[in-house]
Amino acid sequence: MLPDIFLYFIVLAPGLVALTGLVHKQIGDSAVMFLTTGVVLAAGALSLFQLFAYVSGIGGADVPVDEAGHAVEAAAAHGAHVLTLMSWIDVGAFQANWAIRVDALSMVMMAVITGVSGLVHLYSWGYMSDDPHRARFFAYLSLFTFAMLMLVVADNFIQLFFGWEGVGLASYLLIGFWYTKKAPNDASIKAFVTNRVGDFGLAIGIMAVFFVFGSVEFEPVLSAIRNNTVITPLAFADPAPAQEAVIVFLGQRVYALEVIGILLFIGAMGKSAQFFLHVWLPDAMEGPTPVSALIHAATMVTAGVYLVCLMSPIYEHTLYAAGMVTIIGAVTALYAATVGMAQNDIKRVIAYSTCSQLGYMFFAAGIGAYEAAMFHLFTHAFFKALLFLGAGSVIRGMHHEQDMRKMGGLAKFMPVTYAAMLIGTIAIIGLGVPQTLIGFSGFFSKDAILESAFAAGEHHVMFGQVAFWFGIVAALLTSFYSWRLIYMTFHGPMASGHEDGDAHHDAHDADHAHDAHAHDPHESPATMLVPLALLSLGAMFAGFYFHEWFVGNEETAFWGGTLYSAADNHVLHDRHNVPQWVLWAPLVVTLAGFVIATMTYYFNRGFGKRIADSGGPLYQLFSNKWYFDELYNATLVKGSAMLGNAFSKADKKIIDGLGPDGVTSLTRWGARRLSAMHTGYLYHYAFVIIGAALVFGAVMWLNAGGAN
Amino acid sequence: MGGFPIISAVVLLPLLGALIIMAVRTATSGSFTKEEAGREGRAALLAGMIISSATFVASVVAFLTFDIGTAGYQLVEQYSWYGAISYKVGVDGLSLPLILLTTFLTPICLLASWNSIHTRVTEYVVAFLVLETFMIGVFAALDIVLFYVFFEAGLIPMFLIIGIWGGKEKIYAAFKFFLYTLLGSLFMLVAVVYMFQAAGSSDIEILETYAFSPQAQTWLWLAFLASFAVKLPMWPVHTWLPDAHVQAPTAGSVILASVLLKMGGYGFLRFSVPMFPDASQLFQPVMFALAVIAIVYTSLVAWRQTDMKKLIAYSSVAHMGFVTLGIFSFNETGVQGAMFQMISHGLISGALFLIVGVVYDRMHTREIAAYGGLVNRMPVYAALFMLFTMANVGLPGTSGFVGEILTMVGGFQASTWAAAGAALGVIFSAIYMLTLYRRVVFGEITNPALNGIRDLNVIELVCIVPLALLTLLFGVAPNLIFNVTEGAANRILSLMVGG
Repeated sequence: MLPDIFLYFIVLAPGLVALTGLVHKQIGDSAVMFLTTGVVLAAGALSLFQLFAYVSGIGGADVPVDEAGHAVEAAAAHGAHVLTLMSWIDVGAFQANWAIRVDALSMVMMAVITGVSGLVHLYSWGYMSDDPHRARFFAYLSLFTFAMLMLVVADNFIQLFFGWEGVGLASYLLIGFWYTKKAPNDASIKAFVTNRVGDFGLAIGIMAVFFVFGSVEFEPVLSAIRNNTVITPLAFADPAPAQEAVIVFLGQRVYALEVIGILLFIGAMGKSAQFFLHVWLPDAMEGPTPVSALIHAATMVTAGVYLVCLMSPIYEHTLYAAGMVTIIGAVTALYAATVGMAQNDIKRVIAYSTCSQLGYMFFAAGIGAYEAAMFHLFTHAFFKALLFLGAGSVIRGMHHEQDMRKMGGLAKFMPVTYAAMLIGTIAIIGLGVPQTLIGFSGFFSKDAILESAFAAGEHHVMFGQVAFWFGIVAALLTSFYSWRLIYMTFHGPMASGHEDGDAHHDAHDADHAHDAHAHDPHESPATMLVPLALLSLGAMFAGFYFHEWFVGNEETAFWGGTLYSAADNHVLHDRHNVPQWVLWAPLVVTLAGFVIATMTYYFNRGFGKRIADSGGPLYQLFSNKWYFDELYNATLVKGSAMLGNAFSKADKKIIDGLGPDGVTSLTRWGARRLSAMHTGYLYHYAFVIIGAALVFGAVMWLNAGGAN
Repeated sequence: MGGFPIISAVVLLPLLGALIIMAVRTATSGSFTKEEAGREGRAALLAGMIISSATFVASVVAFLTFDIGTAGYQLVEQYSWYGAISYKVGVDGLSLPLILLTTFLTPICLLASWNSIHTRVTEYVVAFLVLETFMIGVFAALDIVLFYVFFEAGLIPMFLIIGIWGGKEKIYAAFKFFLYTLLGSLFMLVAVVYMFQAAGSSDIEILETYAFSPQAQTWLWLAFLASFAVKLPMWPVHTWLPDAHVQAPTAGSVILASVLLKMGGYGFLRFSVPMFPDASQLFQPVMFALAVIAIVYTSLVAWRQTDMKKLIAYSSVAHMGFVTLGIFSFNETGVQGAMFQMISHGLISGALFLIVGVVYDRMHTREIAAYGGLVNRMPVYAALFMLFTMANVGLPGTSGFVGEILTMVGGFQASTWAAAGAALGVIFSAIYMLTLYRRVVFGEITNPALNGIRDLNVIELVCIVPLALLTLLFGVAPNLIFNVTEGAANRILSLMVGG
């Protein structure tokens, strides 16, 4: 563990330097860029050092282990080092602090966040060099880094929610960074609102946690579940052991943990773009590419996976909530891969690939292999950031062209970028030799997930088998679309005609126009290539270097109880006992995907166009993303708009009509009728007076008579 | 007791200032050219700002004298007025933050009028100062008759502010505002008379401990509801608010949203809940239903508006729904959340109306469609507008979040349906606020009239920046407010249980 002062620095300094964006006119754009990049790189170096120091301290350390091979509780719960900054909300039992919690889980996340963020800052020096608003861009990047760190070091649900929505804000601002254009504006609102749908679930989940456990701090809540302590929910429920507690939710008597687990996962689905709530992520590609690499690939979208792993005690003791995590993850893995095959925008292919890989992480967590989920999160950060930054290099080299159909043969213009993209591709398809330690990062983490899923299926974990088979098919598709991207972009002849009539040309190209070789593809500057090189190292070796700690023999000591497994959960262990064919199946399908892609996009380059032109139903379905946008527009968006219009009318017509306006016109009507009686004829008035006197006299007389 | 009557000083200082301004005006009136009238207006505004700033300082002094460790009423002053009715004022953790909010916002409102009010400026200043006295009086009164007098009297200056300095439909809006609120108040008057008869006193502290029969409670509670529901406002008696806001001058909207609406929530917490606990329990489901309808219904209506002020007015109704939810959850989280939400909404909605006022002063239209691309000309404006947009959608780190989450957490304990329904508002608020922001601020400038539009001037910055800082401060350190409200919230809840 680092000294406290460094921990404060890592978490808080990015937030402070983000504020320099407010005074960029006074101190200059470069000052903002230097400060933000320097601070985040320093934080990245410190976080990585922390992680390496932590794992090097583990070798052979004695962690008490019970007979099932799980860390004993005593070591587990107290593994976290918590620095409390100040009390945030203190209202009765509702206590939330501003805190920095450092344990194995948050150390891994800190290393990923600050490491990738530092490199993305550096990369942006090149990528955003001709943008007039670069100071604002760097400030947003640092703001994001700060919010994401606050999310992962929270020691309570409320600070987690702060980080959760804070990264949502940064994501919104960065997707809509080019704010004068329509598409980024649309995409940024879509991202924020879709995430809010997830946050709706998360917020209610947090309310339920407070209701059931009387606290919003992780430690008391999670230990109550681990130890199955008897708890008394705040109202209308009986005391019960935490794992069996029942509450009345929306009129139903249900298991408290199931409700909480499902609600928290709805939040995770939004943030991590899982099936049903995935629609925002592809559109988020409207943001600058470094943003896609940092936020929409390596870090923010993995927050949902982090949340589920952090809440492992809940999912270990639920059936349906965990099953929901598994099936949504498995479906997403497969669904996104099918769509990824039929996209032509280079960034959208990678976006769907991200969606799909997140699906792998979720079904790993759902079946109980949290360690494998976190491991894939870790390795994925390297190779997916690499792929996005590589794509950014291509896009910049092609003068802001993103359509792969207009690319081709770039390998000879951009050799470094090509090498980096190749490494990223080999890593993401998980190439490696089973039963050896030869392979790129994805091999170690993805195979751990697939083997665990098979083992879970054997033990009748809900949806375990489905997850395994979906995962295998998705691996085939992953390999196909990844190689398709490489072939369309880097191989074959340069597609003609990308110079003219290009819709993607925008204001930025005006700056290139003076350049004599404006339209030749060119390799990117060193500030962009260095991050590519460093991430390539991670994509190649992170899996090999860390697998023993994340999912191997040192796993128990490494996680130190931050990831919890119930007594009957042995999936991570059982994955070593799966049949031979299960070990080799991923390699076989990966090679199959490679062969198909090579046949169709390398040797027969017209193939893709022919498929697209033929417009078969399956192609239509995939390329239109299974019509989710159309469906949501027709139902949710149109429906709420109609309701809103109807309510607006109701305000005017019904409420005002029966209320003030109605009363007004009634009064007017009455007044008109009354004034009509003022005829001006004396005998009319005399008649009324005499009539009134008669009635009055009669009443008096009757009253007097009544008294007698 | 004894010592300097600081609360009376806070209450009466603005009124005194208004009288002085009128006296000076009478002494010098007679021969006005247009230029002289302008000078007089400036002088009056300046005097008004000095007086209201002095009032703010006095209220801060009161706050410093206030002991946050004590739950009951403090700094109490009592003078016999008429029979058993007395002039009795004092503060507790519920009223003091609202008084501070009032005294803090009044000078800002007068400053914000510097460039936007050009006719009858002296009368305008007088109306504002008189209104300030009545508003503070509502929160400080510890005698129910005195409360009623302040509560009703406040209608008159507000009626004038809308009716004289308002927009095109000002007369319709002013009368709608007046009739709605007056009608509600008449029921309250009957209730006040009954309570005075039954308990033999109009002292709020005595009424708090007097046990009304359950049946009487029901009627009294409904009578008070008639008044407070209109003020808050609750669905379906909210329709006066959008019209009043749209027609009121900027500063009028600020005061209306920030302070006048809070009288409804204050009334529930001061009277309905502690004095009629059985009835409050009885009507809890109704109040929850109305709160959720307010949040969902008005959020959707807000989304469909084409007028910026109307949109924010509807958003106010939705946000006050959280106050209702928190109050009627009858637990500490909910009640403190509601108190916090009132202060937070006061800052955020006030700021949003100032933000709209800025462009209205330049372009003289509130139509969303007339704008677009402001960020290209007004970057500082865009940044501040973004901050308050996010505060209004309840982003954590701003004060908007704290109030919403606590009222929902409190509501969840009483009814999961209510909390889940209210949480829908979290989605809708994002839709209407981001759409508004995008249409007004983002994009290219398409309306050529916007090409020369200037960014915020110094006066506007001085008005808006303090609100921004407080929104962030209370978002990060809300305990500054909870420390004050804690005693009062628990006292109200214990009165409820103790009957």
